[in-house]
Amino acid sequence: METKMNAPQIPGRDAAILAGAATLAGAAVAPVHAAGSDEIRIGLLGCGGRGSGAIRQCLNADPGIVVVALADLFPDKARKLRDALMKDPKYAGRIRVPDDAILGGFDCHEKLVKTNTHLLLMATAPGFRPWQMMAAIQAGKHVFTEKPVATDVAGVRVFMEASKLAEQKGLAIVCGTQRRHEFSRVELMKRIHGGAIGDLIGGQCYWYGGGIWYRGMKEGLTEMEWQCENWYHFTWLSGDQICEQHIHNIDVMNWCFDGPPKKFTAVGGRACRDYSTEAKKVAAAFKNDAQWPKYNGDIWDHVFAEFEYANGARCLSFSGHSPGTGRSNEKIVGTKAVSDCANRIMGHKGEKIWEYSGPSVNGMDQEHVDLIKSIRAGKPLNEGMRIAESTLTAIGGRLAATTGRTFTWDWLLKASKNALVPDRSMWKPGPGLFHPISTGCDPLV
Amino acid sequence: MAGRSGLTRRQFLGNSTATVGSLAIAGAVPRVGWTAATDTIRVGVIGCGGRGSGAAENCVASAPGVKIVALADAFTDRLQGLKTKHQVPDNRCFVGLDAYQQLLAADGIDLVILATPPGFRPIHFAAAVAAGKHIFTEKPVAVCAAGLRKMLESAKTSVEKKLSVVAGTQRRHEPRYVETMKRIHDGAIGDLVSAQCYWNMGGLWVKPREAGQSDVEWQLRNWLYFTWLSGDHIVEQHVHNLDVINWAFRALPEQVHSIGGRQFRTGPEFGHIYDHFGTEFFYPNDVRTISMCRQIENTTGNVSERIVGTKGTSDCGGSIQGEKPWKYEGPSPDPYVQEHTDLIASIRGGAYLNEAQQVTESTMCAVMARESAYSRQQMKREWFIQRCELDLMPRAGLKMSDALPVPPVAVPGIYELPGMPKADGGKRKNK
Repeated sequence: METKMNAPQIPGRDAAILAGAATLAGAAVAPVHAAGSDEIRIGLLGCGGRGSGAIRQCLNADPGIVVVALADLFPDKARKLRDALMKDPKYAGRIRVPDDAILGGFDCHEKLVKTNTHLLLMATAPGFRPWQMMAAIQAGKHVFTEKPVATDVAGVRVFMEASKLAEQKGLAIVCGTQRRHEFSRVELMKRIHGGAIGDLIGGQCYWYGGGIWYRGMKEGLTEMEWQCENWYHFTWLSGDQICEQHIHNIDVMNWCFDGPPKKFTAVGGRACRDYSTEAKKVAAAFKNDAQWPKYNGDIWDHVFAEFEYANGARCLSFSGHSPGTGRSNEKIVGTKAVSDCANRIMGHKGEKIWEYSGPSVNGMDQEHVDLIKSIRAGKPLNEGMRIAESTLTAIGGRLAATTGRTFTWDWLLKASKNALVPDRSMWKPGPGLFHPISTGCDPLV
Repeated sequence: MAGRSGLTRRQFLGNSTATVGSLAIAGAVPRVGWTAATDTIRVGVIGCGGRGSGAAENCVASAPGVKIVALADAFTDRLQGLKTKHQVPDNRCFVGLDAYQQLLAADGIDLVILATPPGFRPIHFAAAVAAGKHIFTEKPVAVCAAGLRKMLESAKTSVEKKLSVVAGTQRRHEPRYVETMKRIHDGAIGDLVSAQCYWNMGGLWVKPREAGQSDVEWQLRNWLYFTWLSGDHIVEQHVHNLDVINWAFRALPEQVHSIGGRQFRTGPEFGHIYDHFGTEFFYPNDVRTISMCRQIENTTGNVSERIVGTKGTSDCGGSIQGEKPWKYEGPSPDPYVQEHTDLIASIRGGAYLNEAQQVTESTMCAVMARESAYSRQQMKREWFIQRCELDLMPRAGLKMSDALPVPPVAVPGIYELPGMPKADGGKRKNK
């Protein structure tokens, strides 16, 4: 976590960037092939599917973005991404990643924060994120981070500390909960917060779908590396689906209520998630046939949670994976009207009251536009605490289900000793870390 | 369920389920017999286990002139308690899977208490209606779509025959609930826009399988854990809370989407039922409600309901918050006795009560939620009650000595709900 970077390196205070911002006057589009002075040098941590998407969205957001470092546990992924980006004429001259800036290994984030970068994009498995974030902020980097930002309560607290530190240092943290950057939702939320649907008295949010990938065995991986490659299936790495995926919808509910819930109750379990055929092959590869179930993963396939918000409103969070299902949206219920949380307000009997009619935007592009604009304007956005709260909301839903216990936000934030992610010293090739599948009455710690 | 007559019946059922409790006619209706308050009411108990024995005592205590005169149970040992206490002669104690038929054929019985495992209820209820008995029926009243349809038919017949029927959803007879509901229906909390209900608890009893017990006997003695007998715990227990929400809305949910599983209670002694369900019901005007039930040791308990209106909220049972706060301060008679008091009064010529359709409809909500969880599919009520082909009752002529394999625990994606087309049957389109 140590850093040798010092204050003048912080791009938010970088004279060149501030100069660039002055001439651009906040415009979203900077001159193409800008001089070195308005370049923002970025590095990516986690070159998988989401990282590959995020870096393109960042590049598209501002022509001054140049990529100077790519890091992944598996350096091959970083190399492949560099080659793909190099081939894209859109990014000509902006992918400047020499071989020694392809960073690999469990310590690749520590190498990355030492590079000559202004902004880091984070898209590794979420379990590692709090500590990676802390390293980045300590090193004075602006950060775009994918969601969620932790998988356990201990991690959320570290992320919150990093967010506060970023505030002090004037660093940006923007998070991949892109709904917060969609114009339609922003306009809708202004109205909801302005009382357009009355007091909020109920709501629902959903993310259930058919299922996810399971990556089989790859030659030469240690167990821990294999586990990281199959991170979704392990709660300490992904936070389970409620945290990894459903957080988008949970974040929208928290947005409606302008804060996290005060109380959690939930049920859940694993009724149909089964990769036993593949898991047995993995077990065979590790010469560990008898223990094949651990390679089947420990995440559940459904959580049905009730969040009680500060004003007493009880809202449903419904998430899961099972064949032939699909839904991802939200609804908020007020005393005067209801809303789809996307772009419409309706009466209680369904009559149309308001509909957004302005320009539409892809939130996954816009979040990067907003981030870069804020950095250039010298007013870095910091969404850190907010995304930490939404992450903790999802973790709270999961823990209420895995323990079968009802508890409060205050207890969760201040007293819970929930810690799944191993100490940094354990982040290395070797044996994996396997927790049993929860039986729904785990001790509440 | 197939064939022409089936279609006709479906059409009939489609109409008959359109309104909640439309058959629960209020007010006195002229009826044969039971005109004098002093007439002795002679009670036969079908199902003399814990709840049946409790209901029998409650019934006797509920009004003067009520006498237990006949008993029926699958097992001799189960009816001993009532037999001794109420000095029921041997020739009016019936044992075996057909004991209900013998009891209903006996003379001098006015009212029957139906308290066997609920899987048998549609058959027993139909037989009791055919025999012209007044009925106290424990909840739930069915465990599958076929049973629900049979119950709906019998409910209609029971009204035609002017039989009094009260169900063991005792909250309907608790003054604190009744008074609260009056106010909710009068608009005390405005339009109803949300609701929650819960039956979260630890575990229940389980009886170890004894040497030599047949599958059927073992399952009957552990009926909670077999869907064909109990309907799973969402049906067996949580129906109470679902009934309250239906009562508040004066409507039935149009759709249901449920998830559930068997996470903790996984041993074979617990049969094949789930240990938790989370269900969303969709009432008219897209009003969505939360239902949660769980039977897992050492978890947080909560058995309650809450209804949310545009002008306030209520626990449905004596308290209203919001623009017009109110608290019930009247008497609180034992609801398990009160339901019998009301039934006996109806039989003796007071306000006519027939709750058969109402309890069938609430049972339907629970059964379709269970099937939604087992199949992990959202489904429409109309589809479920008209087209679902699920029939859990084992073949006719079931014997105590029979082998009866335990069905596998339902695995969503593999579990097949009879009548549901693979691709899109009963699924609600996402909005």
